[in-house]
Amino acid sequence: MALNLEDYFLPASLQEASTLLQRYGDGAMVVAGGTFVHGLEVRGLLTETVALVDISRLGLRGISESGNGGVSLQALTTLAEVGAAPLISRNPAFGSIGDALQYPPRQILNVGTVGGCVAAAAPLYDLPAAFLALDGQVQASLAARQRAIPLNDFFVGLFESALQRGEIITAIELPAPAARSASAFLKLETNANDLSILNVAVRLTLDKDGKCADSRVILGGGVGETYVRATSAEAALRGQTAGEASFAAAAAAVVDDFEAVEDHRASAAYRRHIAQVYVRRTLGTALARLG
Amino acid sequence: MKTIELLINGATHEVSIEADETLLQVLRNRLDLTGTKKGCDSGGCGCCSVQVDGKVVYSCMMYAAGAAGKAITTIEGLGSGGTALDPLQQAFIEAGAVQCGYCTCGMIMNASELLATTKNPSEDQIRHAIAGNLCRCTGYTKIVDAIKLAATRTAG
Repeated sequence: MALNLEDYFLPASLQEASTLLQRYGDGAMVVAGGTFVHGLEVRGLLTETVALVDISRLGLRGISESGNGGVSLQALTTLAEVGAAPLISRNPAFGSIGDALQYPPRQILNVGTVGGCVAAAAPLYDLPAAFLALDGQVQASLAARQRAIPLNDFFVGLFESALQRGEIITAIELPAPAARSASAFLKLETNANDLSILNVAVRLTLDKDGKCADSRVILGGGVGETYVRATSAEAALRGQTAGEASFAAAAAAVVDDFEAVEDHRASAAYRRHIAQVYVRRTLGTALARLG
Repeated sequence: MKTIELLINGATHEVSIEADETLLQVLRNRLDLTGTKKGCDSGGCGCCSVQVDGKVVYSCMMYAAGAAGKAITTIEGLGSGGTALDPLQQAFIEAGAVQCGYCTCGMIMNASELLATTKNPSEDQIRHAIAGNLCRCTGYTKIVDAIKLAATRTAG
């Protein structure tokens, strides 16, 4: 369906991949697992793409501890591999990641990649919301240059990221979570294989008195062109005792943080309602994970 | 057109393809392996499911050029030597899990990965595992029964 496709490249090095991307410019598209690219193709959005650059043979696969308790997820690690990694599943701070991976079918988990779901820059994707709640950052490579981009600065618009031409994501890095941190994620979808109508990812960090020392409340799905950090909801939690009252206050505040999309899948009013319900529930789940 | 080598069901196939052909298109249209079905063609229904390096994938979402060199298994490759039925195929017949049959091959390719990784899966695990496969006849109860039956026969 990408009628003008001229070639499918399988570069053997990052350098070669970057060179191809620079040579073809807007006519090139990176393929990692390929599900996002295919999704664009079947919607007729790849008519200007003449070259696909498949980076799946470059290694870049695996999950490791990055020194101080943080975790580094190499870009081509599949979603299934993330879900199976004890470094992720045993740490309640990373609970939102495990939650987000409950939704996609096996066929997507087996091929979709960590770097691909971030590079897509589509707020409809689940896992990046969890990464945002964990203050993740992107490692990107262009020729000999390697740089870190905080995820907060990465998503510029719909399908638009801070990556420069030829630049390729090599890893997603999650900093060491503070003590007494837990996170959770919820997705509203219509069936088992759906893009999100609304997503909520939260991270809660408590002080020794059980008060909210720090939090992140991230919204995805039909909330605009990029993910939204719900700063009013976070402000409502700050310094408060973690529990029903502060969670209800955060839920009430979240409607100030985003412009809900109105479309055939859900009204804006329904999305606003669900955002409140899901903020309350995810915070409750995160708190329960702190036991 | 370019020529690639695909390793399917243990045999190497040299095949000339267009750059944008999916694995599903090559399997069905160039290699006549029509057990793999074309359904939604957009990664939503699962009837094109095959295994690549032992992992179930949507063949409609995978570019054939990217599948070169990987071990691809289709429904034709299940069972011993392509003659005896796989326990899952036998169980689907015995449990009456086939209505129109269009989703069956994808269901079996999916369940085959589940049984390879999980001995005696619970009903929840089975239903969760096949969430990416739609049965348009809505015959899920007998499909789940069939997977359970195959699981009990292969667990020992």
